[in-house]
Amino acid sequence: MRATDPEVSDLITQVDPVTLARLPVVKQKLIDEFISLGNRQAARVVEAIPSRDGILDPASVDALYVRTHTEMQRMAEEFQHGQRVKELIAPLLRVLRERRQPPYRIVDIGCGSGYVIRWLAARARFGPDVELIGVDFNPALIAETQRLAHLENLNCSFLLADAFRLDHPAHIFLTTGVIHHFRGDALRAFFARHEQPEAQAFFHYDFQPGLLAPLGSWFWHRIRMRTALAQHDGVLSTVRAHTAQTLCEAARAGAPGFAIGMYGTRIWGTPIPRIFHTLAGLRPQLVADFRRALGLRAGRLGELR
Amino acid sequence: MILFALYLLATLDGALCGNRSAAGRSGLINKRRYYFKWMAEGALWAQAASVISGLALLIVLHFAPDRPGLLLDLENAAQRMLRVYIPYTILILSSFIVRAAPSVDIRSATSVLIFGPMTAARPLISLIGVLYGIIPATRWEVRALGLLVLLLMLAVERIIDRRAEGARLLTLTHRELRAVGATENSPAIYRRVDGRPDDRVP
Repeated sequence: MRATDPEVSDLITQVDPVTLARLPVVKQKLIDEFISLGNRQAARVVEAIPSRDGILDPASVDALYVRTHTEMQRMAEEFQHGQRVKELIAPLLRVLRERRQPPYRIVDIGCGSGYVIRWLAARARFGPDVELIGVDFNPALIAETQRLAHLENLNCSFLLADAFRLDHPAHIFLTTGVIHHFRGDALRAFFARHEQPEAQAFFHYDFQPGLLAPLGSWFWHRIRMRTALAQHDGVLSTVRAHTAQTLCEAARAGAPGFAIGMYGTRIWGTPIPRIFHTLAGLRPQLVADFRRALGLRAGRLGELR
Repeated sequence: MILFALYLLATLDGALCGNRSAAGRSGLINKRRYYFKWMAEGALWAQAASVISGLALLIVLHFAPDRPGLLLDLENAAQRMLRVYIPYTILILSSFIVRAAPSVDIRSATSVLIFGPMTAARPLISLIGVLYGIIPATRWEVRALGLLVLLLMLAVERIIDRRAEGARLLTLTHRELRAVGATENSPAIYRRVDGRPDDRVP
């Protein structure tokens, strides 16, 4: 696996970026593409997806997405990801409340099964002045996460939309395991889209690259994930993960209106890396207060510039 | 007493199998009741396995020409098995205590360093425990009983896993069910139509 290899989940669904309408995906063409890249494991994952008249069956792809994201939620639960997100959002909300009128809109970009937003709605107790919104381009995932939120009566919403073109724009952007999908100019362009007048901060959580990361990820996905898709893409995600330097450079180039740095790269000040690191971006005038609001955790926040 | 200890460990193992099989199959946030249900189901299947083992033991004892000798051999084998299973259990249970710490890093570490690897090692630990118990045994009946116990331990996990997967299918729409290969006669569709209102079917 190479960092330039595409993930299976990136290619089994194609969406028109303007209308968000689903486009047909030719199965054999996709298999050939993965074989030409030397990735037979990915080709086998596609091979196993049912097709009709040579086109990947959309219902099967949707079912696979939902299943895979439910499995991925287990990983988020084991890694206490909801708590980790709350750790940054709660102090930021304290800072914003001193400076701005409500509401405070938190938007999770590429929310998948909406775990983070639903967890925050269920457990974080941010208060009624905070709006929690998850957005994704995949209608099956949005339908599933709406169903789950409804089942638990959670105060949050999920939209099939472009996170940067919402009717009511976000104040805080979040992603988890999304930014490694963008590379080069696309990564810079992604950050450039954060430059909206209402946006105050963003936190992007992703795998931290390292020598042992792919091996650890392989082992973890083998024992915890049941679908071949999750086992393949999960490991490839750690191979494709960006370094802190790449992320910071791209974010500073794309979104110069934010002070940018990393949060939580090492465990308790030891050289041991955390599995996930967080790219943090805040409007410069918020940085000092945010650092204070973090309290004991301020040491985890690197230099923001 | 030794057999009772093995029975308790089997029940605990069944409950943890239930937890493991349920994990990753529900997207809900509040899952305490969901996990409890599957742990109870796992413990119940462990009871079934224990009953089968107990019956096999009674039959073997009934036909044994030298009952005291067989009992002694059995007790020694069970004692050796406990030498493998008890440290494994202590490791798992002590991790639950560590997991109570109010630190996301410590809690995550228990998953990465203990629950994950130990889950993967469970079939191997089961095998090692039984082999360590029965290889030094002098009677074939003890070895056969040990192998039966091993088979049942592995079967319990398999059964619960299949049942949890069946329950997961219940959360899919008819369209998604057909997409994953279920037919009109599949239990997931049948049970839904038969007993559960489906708010997701258009």
